[in-house]
Amino acid sequence: MLRRPQILIIAVLVLLAEVCAQKTVRTSADAQTLPADESIAIVVNQENTVDNLTMKDLRTVFLGERSHWTNGRRITLVMLEPGQPERKAMLREIYHMSETDFNRHFLQGLFTGEVFVSPKTLATPVGVRKFIFNVPGAIGYVRLSDVDSTVKVIRIDGRLPEDKDYELRLLPSTGTK
Amino acid sequence: MSTAVQRTSRPKAGAHHSILDRFLFEVSRYSSTLLLLMVFTVETGVVIFVIRDLRAADSEVQRMYVGAVLGLRGIGGLQYDAQETRRATLYALTTNDSNLQVEYADQSREADRKVTDAIHEYLGRARNDRELEVGKRLQEDWIRYLKVRDEVLASILEGSIKEAVDYDLTGGVPSFDRVRQDLEEIKRLYDEQASRQLAVVDASSRRSAGRLVGVLCFTLLFASVSIWAIQRAKMLNALKLAKLQMDFVASVSHELRTPLAVISASAQNIADGVVEEKDQLAKYGAVIRNHTRQLTELVNQILLFASTREGRTHYVMRPMTVEELFESVLRNTREVVREAGFMVDVQAEPGLPQILGDVSALSQCLQNLVGNAVKYGGTHRRIAMRAFLHRSELPHTEEIRISVEDHGIGIDSTDLPHIFEPFYRSPSVAAKQIHGTGLGLPLAKSIAEAMGGKITVVSKIGVGSIFTLHLPTMKKGSWQDEPLGSDLLTRQ
Repeated sequence: MLRRPQILIIAVLVLLAEVCAQKTVRTSADAQTLPADESIAIVVNQENTVDNLTMKDLRTVFLGERSHWTNGRRITLVMLEPGQPERKAMLREIYHMSETDFNRHFLQGLFTGEVFVSPKTLATPVGVRKFIFNVPGAIGYVRLSDVDSTVKVIRIDGRLPEDKDYELRLLPSTGTK
Repeated sequence: MSTAVQRTSRPKAGAHHSILDRFLFEVSRYSSTLLLLMVFTVETGVVIFVIRDLRAADSEVQRMYVGAVLGLRGIGGLQYDAQETRRATLYALTTNDSNLQVEYADQSREADRKVTDAIHEYLGRARNDRELEVGKRLQEDWIRYLKVRDEVLASILEGSIKEAVDYDLTGGVPSFDRVRQDLEEIKRLYDEQASRQLAVVDASSRRSAGRLVGVLCFTLLFASVSIWAIQRAKMLNALKLAKLQMDFVASVSHELRTPLAVISASAQNIADGVVEEKDQLAKYGAVIRNHTRQLTELVNQILLFASTREGRTHYVMRPMTVEELFESVLRNTREVVREAGFMVDVQAEPGLPQILGDVSALSQCLQNLVGNAVKYGGTHRRIAMRAFLHRSELPHTEEIRISVEDHGIGIDSTDLPHIFEPFYRSPSVAAKQIHGTGLGLPLAKSIAEAMGGKITVVSKIGVGSIFTLHLPTMKKGSWQDEPLGSDLLTRQ
């Protein structure tokens, strides 16, 4: 027969084990859902003469309100499929729109003629890179770690993704703008 | 007989024949093995030649296979990859899915890389100006097509299908047609090259077959000539031997008939009572005795020669001094030398080592040499017999040399190589009616060789001859005196 202090100790130990287990599960779940903070590079075709864009120009381009580059090449927008962290970051940082607003913007803009470019949607960052490699006027985005020599990274407001105060990041910035 | 006729009617051919016969005879002297060795050498050369020829033909075929067949296969692959480049581009036109379009663009680029590499490889392998020219044109046309293809792909991916189709129709189709024509021309060049190489291989094969037939004919001819030469050499040998034997029989008959006639006449005179006085009887008796001895020596010589030829001679070997040998020789030749009015100067180096041999055989050997010196000594009636020790720089080459020198008629240089041949008699000697059997020197030679030595000769016409018997000295420990009966060594 167990005495009262022994039962109490066992109950405390069981409680502690349960708390530890719950904490472990939450940590791994956080690691799966929350991506590590990383810069998002704006990439264009290697032949594109543009090296730098202001954030304002970048918004104009991505909103489809500009049809051609300065060299005369037609602009083609490349987006990742909905749900991808990079797309979410772009909607947040460039478009300041939700997915629904984004779709409505392009449908309405193309109908009214205010938007000249309809974005192409690709499933993977590799697809984005290959698309941009094949289309001289294409512009898109990938994580900095997905960048390779087939595409060219452009500066935004004079800053490269490696720079500390580069604005386009996967996770929202905690500071006030 | 026929040979004589042939020589008379066709002197030049006869001269050639004579030279050939002399050559064959000389060769046959060193046995037919030499001829067979020559045949074997020539046959080996022929086989090597045939193998090299076959290998050359084989290499030709391999070169043709690598050059033409693999080339054609390569050009087939090139055509396929070029088509694949275009096909993948056109597939991209059939879909609106950007992901699929990118995949097709990727496939097109992969195929175009293969084509570019293959063209580069073709240019590297180009062996003539024509191939180089076509290769460079293909390269330029391909680059032109790729530029159009890139534009078409870009338009497809941008979503401008109409623009892409326009590009393809105005630029893509004509430039790809040019590429196709270039590829066809390259293929045609390969075909021509293959045809040319096939002709070369065919010619090479025919040449090889011709050579093989030629070589076989040559081999057959050579073998026939060789067999003929061997047979002829044997026949010449047999003829020569037969002639020598006939000469020998004639010579022996003559040698026998003369003393027999003298003996018969003397005996007849005695029997008829023509000789009555005691002095005359003694004279006739001496004549009969001398000629009987001459006959006995002749018969003994023939029998001894026959036994040495058949290997039936047993030599009783024992150590002897040179003085002992000289004594035996002088004793046995005294009568002949005295009767011929010759003098023999004997000179032996003091302290000569002993010789191991058969005394009577060596004595016979030297007797023959002395007998020859008497027979051919001419008017200068002195014979020198010397013995001395010869030391060479090489170890174990010490020998005793015993020379018999005369100052007579000498031996012609053309006769020298033959004087040790059985039954050989120099034509000049025969012409001078000097009697002999042609067995003395061969017998002396075979005895010298049986004793481990040899005989050499130096001679000059009209000056004289020196025959030297070379005998090895007895080595220490090579002969041991044993108590009873074993002091004789028998050599066969």
